[in-house]
Order: sequence, then C-alpha cells, then structure tokens
Amino acid sequence: MCGIAGILNKAFSASTDTRLIERMLATIEHRGPDGWGTYSSDGIHLGHVRLSIVDLSGGHQPMMTDKYVISFNGEVYNHIELRAELESLGATFHTTCDTEVIIKAYEQWGMDAVKKFNGQFAFLLWDRQEKRLIIARDRYAIRPLYVLNHQGAIYFASEIKAFDPIPGYRRELDMDNLFEHALFWNTLADKTVYKNIRSVPGGTYEIYSTDGLSVQERYYSLGESTPDLPANFNAACAELRETLKDATRLRLRSDVPVGAYLSGGIDSSVITHLVSQINRERLQTFSVAFEDDDFDESSYQQDMIRQLSSEHYELKISYKMVEENFYNVIHHTDRPLFRTAPVPLYLLSDAVRKAGFKVVLTGEASDEVLWGYDSYKELKLLQFWAKHPESKLRPQLIKRLYPHLKHFNDPRQFGLMRMYYEGFLDSYDNEMASLNIRVSNNSILKNYFNRDRKVVLDKEKLLADVKETLPKDYYDWSLLQRNQYMEMRTLLSGYLLSSQGDRMSMAHSVEGRYPFLDHRLIEQSFHYPAAYKMHVLSQKHILRETFRKDIPASIIDRPKLPYMAPDLKSFFAGGTLSERASDLLSEKKLKDYGVFDSTMVNRFISKYERNVPEKLGYRDNMLICFLLSTQYLLDAPPTIKVSPLSPELRTVTIADHV
Amino acid sequence: MASDIQEALLDFVCNSFFVQRDDFDHSDSLIDQGVIDSFGLVEIAAFMEKKFGIKVTENDMIREYFGSIHKMERFIELKMSGEIK
Repeated sequence: MCGIAGILNKAFSASTDTRLIERMLATIEHRGPDGWGTYSSDGIHLGHVRLSIVDLSGGHQPMMTDKYVISFNGEVYNHIELRAELESLGATFHTTCDTEVIIKAYEQWGMDAVKKFNGQFAFLLWDRQEKRLIIARDRYAIRPLYVLNHQGAIYFASEIKAFDPIPGYRRELDMDNLFEHALFWNTLADKTVYKNIRSVPGGTYEIYSTDGLSVQERYYSLGESTPDLPANFNAACAELRETLKDATRLRLRSDVPVGAYLSGGIDSSVITHLVSQINRERLQTFSVAFEDDDFDESSYQQDMIRQLSSEHYELKISYKMVEENFYNVIHHTDRPLFRTAPVPLYLLSDAVRKAGFKVVLTGEASDEVLWGYDSYKELKLLQFWAKHPESKLRPQLIKRLYPHLKHFNDPRQFGLMRMYYEGFLDSYDNEMASLNIRVSNNSILKNYFNRDRKVVLDKEKLLADVKETLPKDYYDWSLLQRNQYMEMRTLLSGYLLSSQGDRMSMAHSVEGRYPFLDHRLIEQSFHYPAAYKMHVLSQKHILRETFRKDIPASIIDRPKLPYMAPDLKSFFAGGTLSERASDLLSEKKLKDYGVFDSTMVNRFISKYERNVPEKLGYRDNMLICFLLSTQYLLDAPPTIKVSPLSPELRTVTIADHV
Repeated sequence: MASDIQEALLDFVCNSFFVQRDDFDHSDSLIDQGVIDSFGLVEIAAFMEKKFGIKVTENDMIREYFGSIHKMERFIELKMSGEIK
C-alpha cells in the first residue's frame, strides 16, 4: 500500500518538475512512510511513497524494466498464481513483489492483464518506447486515483492534496458538483467537488500520449459474468462460504502481521471467524466503543472476542475526541463529510499502527453485495405497496423496516412513515432506485446555500445524468440489483471506501483489506435469486444462514444497526457550539467564503445553543457535518509540507533522459 | 389573510426546520420539497397535539391531511370542530 504521483508535461523542465514531484509526494507521505522514489524522463515524472508489506527488501518503486516503469499503489492478491502462469509462458522475475507481476502481466497480455488481477490497486505505467502513460484503477474503486488538468500539464495522485504544491494552482470548489455531492454523498461519474480534478472511475483504464488523454475504457462492469447458478439455496451457501474463505485467504498474504476490525455486526464477525479458520495463530482484533451507549456495540464485540480468543484492543470514543479530530479527518478526506463516523476509524488506525500492525481486514461492502442496507428493504416495501395498494400487511411491513428506531415505537408514527414512503411510489422504480430517497432526504441542504450561488435541484437533470452512467445490462436487472449498482457506484466507492476507508486507514499508514470486495464473490452472488439475499425483509439472508453455526447467536440475529458516531452532539458537547466550529461558522467566515447563507446557519446554531435534545434526526446531524467540513476546506491553507521527504529513505532515483 | 392556525404552523415549521416562509410552496408536500424528513413529520404531529389540544391517530396520517401546510391547517380545523374523530 502506498501513494503515487505523476506529471505529464510537454513543456518539461527537468529541474522544476523533479522538485515538484517530491513536494507532491511529501503531502501524501502518510501513505508510505517506509521509503520513496522518483522517475523522470522527457515529459514524464513518476513518484512513489512506499508502505512495505510484500517483499520488504525488494519491491522499491518506481520499478523499471527495459520497456516500462511503474508507480503502483495497492495489492494484487493473486500475484503468486499469476507469476506461475507468466513463468510458464517464459517470463523471468527479479523480485517476489506483486509490482513486478503487474509489469510482466502487461507485457504478456496488454490491457487485458487488469482483468486477471484480483485486488485493490491504482497504477501509473509509463511505456518508455511508445511514450505513453497507462493508468488504471481496480474494479470497485478501492484505491484512489485523481487527475488534474492545469495549464497544459496533467497531474496524477492518490490524494487531491498532492496537487496543492503545484505552482500557480489553488483548489477551487465547483458549486454544482458540491451540491451534487451533498445530494448523493458523492459526485457522479468521474467528477469531484473541485474544478478540473477528476476521479478515475473504478474498473477503468486510461491511456495518455504526451498530448493528453487518448483512450478511456471500462474494463469491468458489475454483473458482467454469467456464472453457473448453484442448484439450490444450500449449494449457494456452500459456494459463498468457499469463495469468501478463499477471498479471506488471499487477503492474508503479507510479509507483515495482519489484524482485523470487529464492529459487533455479522460481517466483521464472519471475516474474523474465517481468519481464525485459516490462520492458527492468535488473531489481533481492534474495535471502536463509545461512551454514549446509543452508539456502543461493545457487548456484541465481546461475544465474538470470547469465541475467537483474540488479542483485543478497544478504543473508547468520547464526544470530545470526535470534535477534536474532525478537522484532521477533513484534511485527509479532501472533501465535505456528512457524518462524523470516519473520526473513530481515523483514531483506530492510529492505534493499529502503534500496536505494530500495517494491515487490517474488515467486513466492508457486505451490505452492498449481499443486500444489508435499509435501502433494499425500502424498495422491496415500495414494490409490494405499488402492487397491493390495499394490503393490510403494509403497517406490519413498515414496522419491520426500522425495528431499531425507538421513536417509531408509538403505533401512530407508522402512519407518518407510511405517508413518507407514499411520496416515492411514483419514482422508486426509475433508474435512480433508492437514490430517489437519498436525494429527497438530502435536498434540505439546498436551503443553506447562499442564494447568490444559485444552486438548483433539477431532478430531471439528475436522472438524466445518472442514466448517462449506466451499464448496458442495467435494464435487464431487477430493481434490487439496480440498487446494488447504485449503492456501489455512489456511497460505497465515493464515501465508504474513500472518506471512511482508504483515507482513514492510510492517514496512519494502515492498509485495509476487504474480502467482501473480491470480484469472484460479487459476480457469483449478483446473479443469485433475490430471495437468497433478501428473504421477505430479512437482509443478508444467505450470509446469516451460511454462518449461523459459526457466529454467536446474539450477533447472527440482531437487527442491523448502522455504524454511526455522535455528530451534532459532539460539536455542542459543552452546551454551546465549540470554539473551532464557532470560528468556522462565524458571520465573517461565512461571508468571506460565500457558500452558505449566514441567516440560515445562524438560525440553526441558535436553536441548538438553546437546547440539544436527547434524540436528533438524520438531517440536522448531516447538516452540521456538511457545513463545518465545507467551511474547513475553504478555510484551511493548501497542503504544502515545509519539511521535505527524508533523503535517507530515498530508495529509487531514475533519470531516464535520452 | 392567513389564519392563526396557519401562522402557528408556519412559525413552527420555519423555526424547527430552518426555512423561511418563501422557501417552499404552502400547497405542496413538505416532504416532497425536502423541507422535512420522516422525523420531521413526527415533530409536526407532536406540535399539533400540544398546540391545538387535538389527538392525532394512525388513521389521520394520510397525505390528504399532512401533505402541505394548507392541508395540515384544514386537518387541524376539522379535528377541532369534531368533524374528524
């Protein structure tokens, strides 16, 4: 796991660009504190900061062969099998590292090589003879890759902050993109919240000549395979167990120790169970607990720890810790947030690193892949509703939607819920699937934008933009399969894997690995009958039944609780808005940056300075996080590190000039 | 001329959900316009009970009564006059 950077510049200046690539790398040094290197040739610079996990003594980057040079971030887990295949075809290797496998695979198979990789990666590969740059990103956008066009040059980096040292460049928020980000919690397609910065979509590669982008190709699309379906539910359970176990086994490949996160839910419990089956050594587990009982899941975590007999580390999170670390988190995400939930994960990766671990496995993405989110239930309910408008079952079904929400215990509140969902009967089965509900809930944020900015909620345009991004098979899929696509392309890749995943673990030089994101598992399960994944309204049904005998009953059958941290309460912990937050939301700063309406913001703050109620709704928690994180991004100085990278850690310097 | 009921409703909605009166259409659904989420409906029902001394039952929770400011106003009037039990 590492950080990468590159510059493609026809108006090449060897000395200026060499210094610049080092300054870009310095801003993402946290991604790779174990060593760094650079490559330069006419018109191209590549840089790399390394977190060494595989082949600790070899594997330095950028890595060069006679034809190619690569700067690579991530893991190709099946590198051992690919190496054997390539050797049988005549390839020879000088390291035991997966980086070299990527180069040799490209030499052998060209761009088809990426289809053979099982892993999480982003890379920049320079063809020294053809003078072209090939860049690619893994199928599900686990590892990041951003591209900036600026004054005739093209810049590439693992994190947006790496562009800050570019002379004459200053990040600028794009208001339309910012509002789109607010509606979806991510921007669509390859957009980011900043002007001129793109995020390379997952499952794509791009080829650049020295004149710029020449080829853009999607090499993977969800549901593209046509696997043989298991004969019945039991056979599907057996297949799921086998594939998930193999996905976990591959993700334990490492030359450094591997730990695991435990959330108290079924997903991480299943992964830790599988690790304990594969590895007989005592497992090190890590978890987050909360002082506020409303968020705490430690009793479930303890049930699993007892079963695993793992060496366990628990980090207890207070309101104060959330508030104090929120801004460091925004520094790392480089984009506005809507929840404080990444903060505990930021602090946990620090603890993981201090405990001597660089790699952790987590249960991320099970909710998307095996239909664990409420959005799947909501759509199923709306489908039933549209089909049976007079059914007497409707109130019962609504009750089953949110068993964990205490404020729906009062039976008359179900009437309100019913009414709320009725509003989506006309739209729920259009291309946006459950994003209709998300957009509706989040559109409240529009009222907080400065009216001069003229942000517009145009639902027809949003729908048209979404349609632009759809794969060709989309209309052959069921509504819940479509929803899986939407969840994976918006919230998972743009928020959970980046702001809550990659950026939070890499902030402290820790690599997250996600067995549920093995493409074999995703492709198999995508085509399973819907009832395997959602049985009536029971989510992740197949996962529960497959591992029912392996996981404590308290965890298998517990209602799903979304992972959350205290949001608004953390910023009003002393009864008034905290000092830092007050400064960011001051009349002066709101006016200086001009993004938000100061009257509306002041009204919001005044309400909570009078009283913070025990129970808070989705919207106000989202609002405070969005306001503060956006203001922080506008207020913070560019990320320019004064201290350069340590010369002692320099492992590679290649000057490849003709 | 807005009625006292409508005034009270608008005050509550504007203060609780941080909107201004001209931010939204008073004849259209507050949910569909993004003024409130489902939690907001819970708050409005509680406000009606407290402010107007009416009892909001599960059967009352329909869009015909709760769909917009104007519909809510009408609902409160009907409840207070006993036309809806």
